[in-house]
Amino acid sequence: MSKLIAVVMVGSLAFAAVRSSLSAAEYNTAVKQTPLMSWTGKPKPPSLAQTDPTAVAQEVDKLLVEDLAAADDSDKVMKFDRRAPDEVFLRRIYLDFIGRNPTPDEVTAFVLDQSSNKRGKVIDRLLDDPRFGENWARYWRDVIMYHRSDDRAQLAAPALNEYLTEQFNKNAPWDGIVRSFITATGDVRENGATGLIMAQNGNAADITSEVSRIFMGVQIQCANCHDHKTDRWKREQFHQLAAFFPRIAVKPVKEDDKRSFEVIGNDRPFKINNPKLANRPVGSPEHFMPDLKHPETDGTKMQPVFFLTGQRLAYGTSDAERRDSIAKWITSPADEWFAKAFVNRVWAELVGEGFYEPIDDIGPDRTCIAPKTSDCLAHEFVDSNFDVKRVYRIIAATEAYQRDSRTRRSPNDMPFAANCPERLRGDEVYDALVAALGMNDSLPGVRLSEAMGGKGGKGAALLRSPRNQFDQVFGFDPSTPRDEVTGSIPQALLLMNGPQINRAINGNRPGTELGQLLASTNDNESVATELYLRCLGREPNKAELQTCIAHVKNSQTRAAGFEDILWALINSTEFLQRK
Amino acid sequence: MCVQLHHCVGVKANRDGVLGRRDFLKGISASAIAGGLAGGLLHWTDLVTAQAADLRSRGMACILLWMQGGPSQFETFNPKSGTANGGDTKAISTAVPGIQIAEGYPELAKQAGDVAFIRTVNSREGAHPRAQLLMHTGYLPMATVKYPTLGSLVAHEIAGGAGQLPSFVRIGGLRNTGGSAGFLGTEFDPFDISNPAAPPTNTTVQTDLPRYKQRLNLLDQLEAAAGGGKMSPESAEHKKLYERAVKMITSPDMKAFDLSKESDQIRQGYGETNFGAGCLLARRLVESGVTFVEVVLDGWDTHQDNFGRTTKLAETVDKPFATLIADLKLRGMLDKTLVVWMGEFGRTPTINANAGRDHYPKAFNVALAGGGIHGGRVVGETDSSGVEIKDRPVAVNDLFQTFCKSLGMKAETENMSPIGRPIKVVDGGKPVHELFV
Repeated sequence: MSKLIAVVMVGSLAFAAVRSSLSAAEYNTAVKQTPLMSWTGKPKPPSLAQTDPTAVAQEVDKLLVEDLAAADDSDKVMKFDRRAPDEVFLRRIYLDFIGRNPTPDEVTAFVLDQSSNKRGKVIDRLLDDPRFGENWARYWRDVIMYHRSDDRAQLAAPALNEYLTEQFNKNAPWDGIVRSFITATGDVRENGATGLIMAQNGNAADITSEVSRIFMGVQIQCANCHDHKTDRWKREQFHQLAAFFPRIAVKPVKEDDKRSFEVIGNDRPFKINNPKLANRPVGSPEHFMPDLKHPETDGTKMQPVFFLTGQRLAYGTSDAERRDSIAKWITSPADEWFAKAFVNRVWAELVGEGFYEPIDDIGPDRTCIAPKTSDCLAHEFVDSNFDVKRVYRIIAATEAYQRDSRTRRSPNDMPFAANCPERLRGDEVYDALVAALGMNDSLPGVRLSEAMGGKGGKGAALLRSPRNQFDQVFGFDPSTPRDEVTGSIPQALLLMNGPQINRAINGNRPGTELGQLLASTNDNESVATELYLRCLGREPNKAELQTCIAHVKNSQTRAAGFEDILWALINSTEFLQRK
Repeated sequence: MCVQLHHCVGVKANRDGVLGRRDFLKGISASAIAGGLAGGLLHWTDLVTAQAADLRSRGMACILLWMQGGPSQFETFNPKSGTANGGDTKAISTAVPGIQIAEGYPELAKQAGDVAFIRTVNSREGAHPRAQLLMHTGYLPMATVKYPTLGSLVAHEIAGGAGQLPSFVRIGGLRNTGGSAGFLGTEFDPFDISNPAAPPTNTTVQTDLPRYKQRLNLLDQLEAAAGGGKMSPESAEHKKLYERAVKMITSPDMKAFDLSKESDQIRQGYGETNFGAGCLLARRLVESGVTFVEVVLDGWDTHQDNFGRTTKLAETVDKPFATLIADLKLRGMLDKTLVVWMGEFGRTPTINANAGRDHYPKAFNVALAGGGIHGGRVVGETDSSGVEIKDRPVAVNDLFQTFCKSLGMKAETENMSPIGRPIKVVDGGKPVHELFV
């Protein structure tokens, strides 16, 4: 512990106060009363579910320091960055929680607020903002839909979005949400929970891969064709898991002008003779593991068995019972990977780096860079009955989250010394542009509509909204490690040369935000400051302000000078990332 | 260590001759870093430089004419004239004695000496999305791995690019049905052109050029001021991307997108259709250094009125396809440009009640020209009813191996998926050797 610096010790002392509230006897009783399971073979720590989130956050910070100390046997002193300045914190928490930049008014009010718990107040306020659910619904929609095997699955995206928004906003427990995905039936345009199954077109093997990857972080699908090379999973175990899903069918729905699909459990599978439909999953009574040497044969009939626990069902079990059972088993408090997958993902999104990376490839054979911290948050999540907002509240309250930001570390640097900048997702860039330029949510983005809305483009209308077109250029699969998500030429071209954007920054048109701003004041410093606040959620520094003023002076007209500044701001690195 | 490093670098050199940061870090073990990063880095730089030069020197390119929907083999290059399954479609002779194709392709028939027809490509995928991905990536789609599409693969492996234009351009693509760069990263994604007759989206500068340069200059100044005079790595990466984008749109190579630079005679040769314009644009882009161009033609899903529709489609395809081959040859580009004509599967031998044909992946045809492929030949034979393969089945990975051989790509090269799983450019299969001798 001698290598810890003072900044950290503050957190440690606070923790000591929490822990001392339990006597040794109480601690032992708590352990006995929760004999759930020993995830790591160690006694389960006492539940923190009744503890104040801020105190839990301090516990997390303390464990993180212990983890980092244990991982480093050198005598180097641990160095953590200072707390992020107020305006950096504010833009970060706004983007992370509600996917939007704070408005200039919100920035000013926050910076001027003298109260000591103002960060905590913002955290609470944003968790109650309906845009919290909207933002994280879009995130999970992308997690699911970027792995779709069939573009027709996009039909299900709006319902999926709506469903998740509602669930997150009413803080529905995560285990229930996940069970609804696994057991979903019905019209994919009405029941959003069918989204995951629709994204995989009802295919048992693909549903298996995705359920395991997304909800447990276990990439068991590598064992689809051969025993896993680096993990313990066997090919048989993959197909035993797939044996929970063979009866799922996805049926086209055609009523009048309505075109949709329905997810059903088909307990009386029928053969379809129409070759056009030959590859549409219609359900099979049991799952068969293909014989790789003789792919033309049926393969081996597989019994439904859950690889983590060995829980099993008999052949002949109905679709409903198969899916209900596996949904319960996967989301059980006994399944450590279910809890860890969620907290690892949320931690990685908020702090910038996961305990495990990539965030959808965790499991017993993967290295965790902060095992105690990860365990603590996962246990906390289970003990609080999978309270989603509580996870966000705790992580956002940690010092680890609130530190200043620093470029992604190289592998030999200590993790979590700072928060890590992240590229904004497509929806966030879109909203940032709409807000910065006052575009009224009608940014026509790019001309992909011709390609997407052409004849035969089923569901194309759904994809034609400006937001969706924009997302075609700026969106990415949120499970991709962030250092692999890079900018693209079409993105740069859109921001530099998009005709709509260039019209919106025209300072001579009274209808634009810039036009109004220029008309409202003659003070160039005020205008420059306002533009920085609108685009980047902060005031310009001295050098930036000087550069702006000098540029306006050297421009042909005042309006032209500020147009250039606004153009440069939306084309800047900072506009596209959260620090 | 050196072996590992060499392996990694050989795989990952991209169009700028540099590695992605993550690839670089993956390829160098912690011990090497501990042992002195500078030494490792120097070594690595040397290798990349050598590799990039080697890649450029190949100068190969590929044009994929993608027939979306699944073209009927009976109405294209494997007619069964005079049989019940063949319908009313007649066969015509070509410039090569003994080779007959469907009657809708008289212009292509004249170029048959340069075209090889494979009549026995087969797969088990009869649904559009899966089959489209299979035929674009060489892999069956998997929920958890996004395999790169052919154009991205080729761009990644052989572009090496000195040119200013994107290395992979897709013309007339439909809602991403042709796949993307997947785990290779956005750098290798297709640059989409929806209308070959118009300038590409957002490539027209909205101010005069001096003002544009001023804006870019201001952007640089503000980025520097934001970092307190220092440029963050994110900022440096951003700047590099913007420089590439600006270089591209202000480059003289952008003229490649302007079809009005061609004579009327040439433009008429390619035909007045969008597909024809796409083929002409493909040739212009390859001439300007683009490595892979995909031209998409939709409409081949002929469950109804197969004969009427394939007749119209033949009118759309025949002239531009034939002209493209002749034009490439005339310009001395055919040897270095592989032209591939294919779709996701074929159509059923039996004609359905709507005078249509349904999906049939069991035996379908693909046409190849250029890129060292010996034309004037047919590979494989189906029985007289067109139902079964009689001789020389060609699997999808055999076809992809053939592309690799033609383009000078190493099929066994392994690229890393995000979870660190090595994935070969092509998994299994053998090149169709008859096409190279």
